[in-house]
Amino acid sequence: MNIVQCNAVSKSYGNVAALDEVTFSIKQDTITGIIGRNGAGKTTLLKLIAGYWKHSKGDIHVFSENPFNSLTVSANMIYIDDQMTFPDAMPLHSILTEAARFYPNWDAKLAKRLFDYFSFHPNQFHDHLSKGKKSTFNTIIGLASRCALTIFDEPTTGMDEAVRNDFYRALLRDYIVAPRTILISSHHLNEIEHLLEDVLLIDRGRVKLHLSIDALQQYAIGVTGNQAVLSQWANDQEILFSKDDGENSLFLVVRNNVSKEKMDQLLGLGIKPTSISPAELCLYMTQLKKGGIDDVFRDA
Amino acid sequence: MNLDINSTKPIYIQIAEWIENEILVGHFKTEEKVFSQYKLAEVFNINPATAAKGLNLLSDEGILYTKRGLGKFVTADAKHIIQQKRKNGTLKGLILDSVREAKRLKVSEQELMEMITKAHKEIEGDEA
Repeated sequence: MNIVQCNAVSKSYGNVAALDEVTFSIKQDTITGIIGRNGAGKTTLLKLIAGYWKHSKGDIHVFSENPFNSLTVSANMIYIDDQMTFPDAMPLHSILTEAARFYPNWDAKLAKRLFDYFSFHPNQFHDHLSKGKKSTFNTIIGLASRCALTIFDEPTTGMDEAVRNDFYRALLRDYIVAPRTILISSHHLNEIEHLLEDVLLIDRGRVKLHLSIDALQQYAIGVTGNQAVLSQWANDQEILFSKDDGENSLFLVVRNNVSKEKMDQLLGLGIKPTSISPAELCLYMTQLKKGGIDDVFRDA
Repeated sequence: MNLDINSTKPIYIQIAEWIENEILVGHFKTEEKVFSQYKLAEVFNINPATAAKGLNLLSDEGILYTKRGLGKFVTADAKHIIQQKRKNGTLKGLILDSVREAKRLKVSEQELMEMITKAHKEIEGDEA
């Protein structure tokens, strides 16, 4: 069953389209990584799914309803990001108590254990926490609420590496115990890829790829070699990215559907293809300009 | 236990190979139950769906079979199937790589054979 279904969904602010006819669906009980560059439209998409914002065009269904103004979606969904605010007068322990009343599947034991593990003090105030600590507290709410649809929008902002890894591990272990549909946006695909079943890559308001993590891992290969020789070899291949490495050297990322014959040709040329990790692939496929940042410094 | 996240091999294939290795060295014996997808997910810190893909791959190859409601078990032919598969796949690939490299380095066939014989002796010497 699909928990989220988007058909040609667009969202514009004035003349600017933040999302442009986005179509995809999210299966029940999966963890999907929402990946993209800054300003690609990740947050816009997640806020539309959450029902916080209203879409401009197309059809969007969450639990088979339009999420905007939907009680069903509000009751079964939680949205975690670093903008979450809680009443100033409530210390952390009261926030947890209230959250337990709010979310029917709340796991108080998990909340308490995570709270203690990350060394929070019950009488602290959310507003007084550091950036990383705020994020950590918010993820505790996100995990313990055990909502059927759990959305983490860059949940690890400000967290140090150890805490990030602890959070990812906690997410996975709790997901194993209580499967649910989780969307998690991040800039650090390499940190979360092991957790994911699927990846939705967003680029400039459009869906660039929506694949399982395994398919993504085998989607492309990298080849480096002499400019003339390699261009000739690659003229009938699907090139996803190319970079002039200087000194007549060329780096290409091509679809990993090279025929055996072409592969033998390549190996015969002494060129050994390298693997392209999902994180690298996402970077290459959302490159703004062909030459990258070096173009800025190139003499005209 | 760690997986090689940077490998070209998808994680589910690495999981399948790990189970194969455990069967080859006898940690999982014929007719014994192997780890469930959830156990694998926890141990290797991966998504349970990825772990399930690894298990299903081995079922498709006749290395594991399913007892309904109980989990996946090692078939009687498992060891044999794994050995044949690796001989025709992995080992053949490694040999092709060696021959290609030898050709690039202008190492003759005879010289390469001698190197293999020597390597054989070295390893057998280590094990003795």
